[in-house]
Amino acid sequence: MTFLEKQTDPTSPMHWRGNMQADYLYLSGVAGDKFFKHLMKNDTFLATKCPECNKVFFPPRLYCEDCFCEIPEEKWFEVPSKGSIKLFTIATIDSYGKKLKEPKVIGLINIDQTDGSLLGVIKTDKPDEELQGVHVEAVLKPKDKREGTLKDILYFKKK
Amino acid sequence: MRKVAVIGAGMTLFRRILQETGKELSFLATKMAMEDAGIEKKDLDMVIMGSAPDAFDGIHLKGENLLDGAAAANKPYVRVFNGGGTGVFAPIAGWWHVASGVADVALVVCEEKMGSCFPHPQTAFRHIWDPFLDRPLNTNLVWLFAMEMNRYMTVHNIKKEDIARVAVKNKRNAVGHPCAQLPDENITIDDVLNSEVVAWPVQRLDISPPSDGASALILCSEEKAKKYVEDPITIAGVGWNIDSTMWTNRDLYFPRYVANAAKMAYKMAGIDNPRKEIDFAEPYDPFDYKELQHMEGLLLCDKGEAPILTREGVTQRDGNLPICPSGGLLGVGNPIAATMGQKVCELYWQLAGKAGKRQIPTDPQIGVGQAWGDIMQMGTVIVMKR
Ligand SMILES: [Zn+2]
Repeated sequence: MTFLEKQTDPTSPMHWRGNMQADYLYLSGVAGDKFFKHLMKNDTFLATKCPECNKVFFPPRLYCEDCFCEIPEEKWFEVPSKGSIKLFTIATIDSYGKKLKEPKVIGLINIDQTDGSLLGVIKTDKPDEELQGVHVEAVLKPKDKREGTLKDILYFKKK
Repeated sequence: MRKVAVIGAGMTLFRRILQETGKELSFLATKMAMEDAGIEKKDLDMVIMGSAPDAFDGIHLKGENLLDGAAAANKPYVRVFNGGGTGVFAPIAGWWHVASGVADVALVVCEEKMGSCFPHPQTAFRHIWDPFLDRPLNTNLVWLFAMEMNRYMTVHNIKKEDIARVAVKNKRNAVGHPCAQLPDENITIDDVLNSEVVAWPVQRLDISPPSDGASALILCSEEKAKKYVEDPITIAGVGWNIDSTMWTNRDLYFPRYVANAAKMAYKMAGIDNPRKEIDFAEPYDPFDYKELQHMEGLLLCDKGEAPILTREGVTQRDGNLPICPSGGLLGVGNPIAATMGQKVCELYWQLAGKAGKRQIPTDPQIGVGQAWGDIMQMGTVIVMKR
């Protein structure tokens, strides 16, 4: 190795500092656009059902990945913004390695009447309880504050 | 090795920004190809995805992100990527899946969403360089290609107007393409020569636009292809070759890596005299001068002869050697990997007589497609036969 054994300063060899500039505008797509526009004005979610295998996609998709058919307009429908916790964890350290002020429950919520799930924050008084299978409902921002992104869902809480 | 046939193709609109996600674009192209071939997802043995840097779409693991739109969920799947060479390399990867006998039917999907990258996809290109020797000067691709173009013009004493003719031809050819982003039936050489100078000698209209889009191709063993089509179009030869990354130490007037790739493909196809045996070509044309250089690299003419053939009308759709009958990247758009639509799907459409308004009138039997990528170093070539 050319890196000296006792090297502790990685900037001591000749070097060039650079950053990878990366700014993005992500469009939510045809299905995503419809889903988020609906969320801005309603307290329910939208889902789509495959006309061939009846699988219910949540968040809604334009196509069934199994049957590989397009899902037509009439197969879009409303579902309640509720579901049951499929998986969860209690995080104590954030993505940057910093200790969180209080533990955060992150879970995957299987939305009622669908075969799909969504990642969400779960607010609960007792974060160490067994949450798997527990039924929860979404707490949304007030309608006039919504922006049509996932952040319009503040968190999920037990009913 | 088994013979490989092409049994279906699909292509979305190419636009500067499309509302569809990458998955949705992939789905649309794939669905069209499946309908063209008359097959379903269950008939596909394997799927190959071609897509250029993750930095365009802004999603790392882009291949994984796109796969459900490419009919690849629960299938053997691989993403291939070699810069601008991908649009022809992805079908080459599809070819070896089938030629080897590992798959009977393989789907190749190519997707690019350059509209996500702000303020311009050029920002993603700024990070492809050597961090010590190129990046400190804030190099961009157009500067490099301008130097290459200048060298090509100098060596062969080529006039700028003879290069501008390529942009005019391709943007006019694109008028017949239902997916085209920049078709223009009235464009003139003067329009190109009067457009803004970006880096001499490159002007605005010498360059293809960045685009969103997707394309798809279905490959099948020749034996099985007869189940779907009477006279299948076959892949007669493939070739790929890469030159040194030390591009600074090469003479850029001639793309020898393209010539190497072409020789490999021609040998496989049993072509001894490409000028006589090849009926039309889709060389990679992200810049107008690249079409000319690539015609020479593909050994379709002598070095420096391509601008003369172009001036004489030989490369027009109704000429003796139609070049970029699709409208190319200059006319149809340049969603890097998805240009498989012009460079490979077009060969299939022309050979199968499915090119509509773009159909070459002289009943072509053999076509060659080519792409070019990385830092002026990658050549990918495919020969298709009726
Ligand atoms: Zn289905």
